[in-house]
Amino acid sequence: MSAAQCDGGALITRIAQAQDRAAFAELFAHYAPRVKTLLVRSGSTPSAAEELAQEVMLAVWRKAHYFDPKRASAAAWIFTIARNLRIDSLRRGSSALYAVDLNLGAEEPAQPDAILSGMQDAQIVRSAMQTLNPDQSQAIEMAFFQEQTHSQISEALGVPLGTVKARIRFGMMKLRAFIEREAGVAS
Amino acid sequence: MSLRRLPSEERLLAYAAGTLSAPEAVVVATHLALRPETRVWSELGQAVGGGVLEDLEPSALGAGALDKTLALLDQPAPQEPTVRLDKTDPTLPAPLRGFELGPWRWLGPGVRVRNVLGPRDGDCRVILLKIAPGQSTPRHTHGGVELTCVIEGAYETESGVFGEGDFEEADPSVLHQPRVVSSKPCLCVAALDGEIQLPGRLGKLLAPFVKL
Repeated sequence: MSAAQCDGGALITRIAQAQDRAAFAELFAHYAPRVKTLLVRSGSTPSAAEELAQEVMLAVWRKAHYFDPKRASAAAWIFTIARNLRIDSLRRGSSALYAVDLNLGAEEPAQPDAILSGMQDAQIVRSAMQTLNPDQSQAIEMAFFQEQTHSQISEALGVPLGTVKARIRFGMMKLRAFIEREAGVAS
Repeated sequence: MSLRRLPSEERLLAYAAGTLSAPEAVVVATHLALRPETRVWSELGQAVGGGVLEDLEPSALGAGALDKTLALLDQPAPQEPTVRLDKTDPTLPAPLRGFELGPWRWLGPGVRVRNVLGPRDGDCRVILLKIAPGQSTPRHTHGGVELTCVIEGAYETESGVFGEGDFEEADPSVLHQPRVVSSKPCLCVAALDGEIQLPGRLGKLLAPFVKL
């Protein structure tokens, strides 16, 4: 659990419905500092990360009406915006590619209800991550930082590449199974 | 083990994390557009990304960071970078529509190729391949990993048949000669790393024209 509670979904909804600047300020206070850390750990300089974190929050304001709490948690949605802007800053013109991942399209959800409602629940995702063994969660978390390729992770951990891949694969399958179970599959 | 026709979980996690190279990401995104059922893995990766973000230690921001951002809220969003629409193909899957394309070029009987301009990573780049029914590409081995996603039609390799939306990760040690088994031409998007080496006399013959 993070110390500071923040109902990001409700705040984004207030921004979308009423251009609520107070809601934006609250969201900014919680997420901008974390987005900055994410970007620094992904290889940005602190000043570039700070600049980009502000751009990410600005994009959150502008795209708030696309946010669908039934498809993603606020944290996952903001993470995805940060990812896209980071990629864009590295190589221009890739944003077209990832647009579909922001759930911007009016298309029908592709996933079965259980996994979908589980994934949009940040608490369930967090509990799922706690069920992983340390090797699995380490391999999965490392995949998010510093443009790490799996070979680099393998070197850093001193284990064979195949082992890293297997840890990620089994970890991901475990997460999926846990989330589906927790979200209550009505069978 | 059954033939795998979707990206591995670890590649999908890297896609969600944003750490795949641009060419690889284009091919994975094409697969995800054509096969919504695979998106459970990339969306799971994004959900995990949200969890990772939430657990990070907050960094201090400069004084006035919030005010600076608040001051920008009412400004119009910047223009999206424009592409020359006459150089794009709106019939392609969504992830490919935003890219300008090079001209179709001949690559042997019944085989045409065009570059997807933009996504590059060193020697790695993206191409579209169109192969006529019954035709094969010249036998070739690979300098590096080749990722392929079938957009239309189907081809068969030593490993099996790949149809619309199927994703193939070529083994660099395998001599690759897909043959089109659909009644319409087979259109694929591929990420190539390094030069394709076309072995044998045909390869030598084609080399000056192929410039892949």
